[in-house]
Amino acid sequence: MSDPHDRQFLEITRRQVLEAGTIVAVSGMLPVAAQAQASSSQLAPENGVTVQVRFQINGQPSVLEIDARASLLDMLRERLGLVGAKKGCDHGQCGACTVHIDGRRVASCLTLAAKIDGRDVTTIEGVGSADTLHPMQQAFIDHDALQCGYCTPGQIMAAIACVKEGHASTPEEIREYMSGNICRCGAYVGIVAAIEQAAPQIERG
Amino acid sequence: MTQEQTADRPRVDAYEKVLGRALYAADQPIAGLLHGMTVPATIAKGRIEAIDLTAATNVRGVVRIFTHDDFSQIKTTPAARGAYGRPSKGYQPMTGPIVRHRGEPVALVVAETLEAAIEGAEAVKVRYAEEAFSAAMEDDRASREPEPESQLSSGDAETAFATASHRIDVEYLHPQQHHNPIELISTTAAFEDGELRIYEGTQAASAFAGGLAGMMGMDPTRLRGVSPYTGGGFGQKNGIQEQSVLVASAAILLRRPVKLVMPRGQLFHTASYRPRSRHRVRLGADEQGRLLAGLYETVQQNSRYDGFGCEHGANPPRMYGYGAWLGSDRIVRVDTQTPGHQRAPHEHPSSYATECAMDELAEAVGMDPVELRIANDAQRDPITGKPFSSRHLADCLRRGAELFDWNRRSREPGALVAENGDLIGLGVACGSYKGSMTPAVTTLRLFASGRCEIATSGHEMGQGIRSVIAAELIDVLGVDPEKLDIRIGDTGHAPQHVTAGSWGTGSAAPAARSAAVKLREELNLLTGSALSEEPIHLQLARTRRPVLEVTVNTIPLGKDAQVIEQLRRGIPSTTGPEYPEFMAFSWIAHFAEVHLEASTGRVRVKRVVSVADCGRVMNRRTAESQVRGGVIWGIGAALREVGETDPRFGGVLNNDLAEYVVPVNADIGAIDVDFIDQPDFKLNPSGVKGLGEVAMVGATAAVVNAVYNATGRRIRHLPIRIEDLL
Repeated sequence: MSDPHDRQFLEITRRQVLEAGTIVAVSGMLPVAAQAQASSSQLAPENGVTVQVRFQINGQPSVLEIDARASLLDMLRERLGLVGAKKGCDHGQCGACTVHIDGRRVASCLTLAAKIDGRDVTTIEGVGSADTLHPMQQAFIDHDALQCGYCTPGQIMAAIACVKEGHASTPEEIREYMSGNICRCGAYVGIVAAIEQAAPQIERG
Repeated sequence: MTQEQTADRPRVDAYEKVLGRALYAADQPIAGLLHGMTVPATIAKGRIEAIDLTAATNVRGVVRIFTHDDFSQIKTTPAARGAYGRPSKGYQPMTGPIVRHRGEPVALVVAETLEAAIEGAEAVKVRYAEEAFSAAMEDDRASREPEPESQLSSGDAETAFATASHRIDVEYLHPQQHHNPIELISTTAAFEDGELRIYEGTQAASAFAGGLAGMMGMDPTRLRGVSPYTGGGFGQKNGIQEQSVLVASAAILLRRPVKLVMPRGQLFHTASYRPRSRHRVRLGADEQGRLLAGLYETVQQNSRYDGFGCEHGANPPRMYGYGAWLGSDRIVRVDTQTPGHQRAPHEHPSSYATECAMDELAEAVGMDPVELRIANDAQRDPITGKPFSSRHLADCLRRGAELFDWNRRSREPGALVAENGDLIGLGVACGSYKGSMTPAVTTLRLFASGRCEIATSGHEMGQGIRSVIAAELIDVLGVDPEKLDIRIGDTGHAPQHVTAGSWGTGSAAPAARSAAVKLREELNLLTGSALSEEPIHLQLARTRRPVLEVTVNTIPLGKDAQVIEQLRRGIPSTTGPEYPEFMAFSWIAHFAEVHLEASTGRVRVKRVVSVADCGRVMNRRTAESQVRGGVIWGIGAALREVGETDPRFGGVLNNDLAEYVVPVNADIGAIDVDFIDQPDFKLNPSGVKGLGEVAMVGATAAVVNAVYNATGRRIRHLPIRIEDLL
């Protein structure tokens, strides 16, 4: 336990609940609970063995002292507030967490945060802007290459890399090299069309 | 004010989604958030004798570990997971020292960080007393429900079948399947503005406000369900999850916000899935292929305690003009987790079985399968005798056949061969899905600045409901899409219906439309003259009012004002397919072309053509996407997906996305979609039926029938794999 105060009030809470019964305690506790949350601190303390990593994130130099067990995905989402990369399997099977490290696509859920020391990380938040969409983002809109949108940041990061790798020359090649990113809504036809549209613009750029 | 047809606009939320700015349940920035991790049961049935928390408690960062001791007073109500609204059904884990299915949570570890929660959960030691169980309906310990779940009949089907010239008597097996939306089911409970907010990707936010409050004995007005974006639902997120009440209770007891993102391996056991089912189909026809009789018996594998129905028999008799029909659906209960609604829950498996049987009948009669279906077209429901509100299925078949170039098909299997030697097979199948609607409460505000806000009932899970709402507001008011603010999926803005069963568009479109029409009427009263072509907010500005607000309750056909109260309480209240004057369904015809590599048996679906009759098409672009998605689900069902339960242990063996194989990009070829696009104004003023589920219905049968046309082999189970074709 990192915070003795927590331990203390948890004990009290447990007793109260057991004595008063969960239902009564639960409904009566709501205002108190709301107050407690408001006063709690923003950043959770790291509680495992930590490592220091220095890296660039979307062009910004950063330093972080982070739990050695943490994945890059959990670092982005839970520490840096960059929630564009999504957790869909946590096993490198779905591609929803795809980001770029030094321009190459990786599954951030399978990458330890500790490994990005000295690296350059790009997430969907670093691609395009509200004023100027990246050609791949515009192409995804044009071809309705998304439905629920959950896999979309990963699809777009993979799609940009797919073009840069030189694997977007034919629809068949695009399908093969985009098969690490699952879209359960089934936007595959639109995704292939979007990459075909954006590829020449990215290659020229 | 005309009703524009086949509007083609970008999806209204596409912009936020491509920028990664759409916030899903697990993305909410919340101060002081704690992380939870559940400990799944490692037995299928039995009692928890002891839980040793010593090691887990010592993990640095662990704040609290909850067990059934902490949650014994949570009530299992008809809102609980698996009850499906039925009293005395359903099961909430961790309310007692028992285990009713493998993988259910037996402890919840809450920690300062996710890493600590995971380590803590792995350190929890549970001692069980195991009991005998069954995990398959073929097992001796399985319990068959004494009465059929549903029965439909018309005429003397047994006699008609016995005397028919051509008879088909076949059994098709449908496997267990899992939805696997890419968004993991996560629950975050946090205190904001004196209320407990539950952020969970859901199709049923009012279930949190109403249902969860009931389970916890809380005042429902202190709970708010929030799900502005759902990362795919497909029916898996249509109610309270096993984890929901646990996380909400933990947050209250800890006085801190708690988030649980349940790992996919656990979701295979805690979340719903499509259960296994067996389908015996008997079809009898005369010399000309006229359907004299259909007999259809199904059996579905449920859990011991769930209230999930079995309705396989509902749609097949409505597909064609059967002379007589007899159908029954039965349930067998085993000791596994609770199944539920998965996209086209019963319509997909029943269309698979009956539309494959139709293909077998076409062969027996010696008729083209398209011709056989058109010859048996019906404009009345053979069961009730009522007419259909609209039915353009024969047109779907004719147009699809033309787009697909169906005439190149040979009745002789294996006659078409590709340049590379692959066998080419062509198949057709049809589908239907009920036309349903649900009530909605809508508040629409137009500002003189041009801004337009709408708060209404409905959830966006990718089907494009925001785009449908936008389409009606643009159509009626001519508002700028960029200035639209659409607030849905949040009980803080409007009561939320369960958005499922393809009734989303048929409910949201009329809701938005009637609110927009009312707003025009009110503005008319203010201006005192007919509205001009000038932008509507400028006309409002001239009345010197900054804002005009209207509220509209929409009550679907055949219901009364009481349904609004039901909606507010989170109780589903839907209509259809039977209405006083007619039956309402959406219809579809699918054509599939498969290429089979003869040496390996590998099947590729090169092209699908699908033509749908879904009433008015609200947005051509999102509608096409929705149909393609449904077709891909059909392809996945035909060739890939099966949840494999180990009968020795009662758990799903392939509980991740590497082993439960869903279609990936390389599996999908061309999918061409077209629509009849004839509005059905009998059903609602927007003229829409539903699309999301009918899109899948029949797609699997089209692929299976194409495999037959390529190989001459009738494979009567799913998925069809290379070992079936070698």
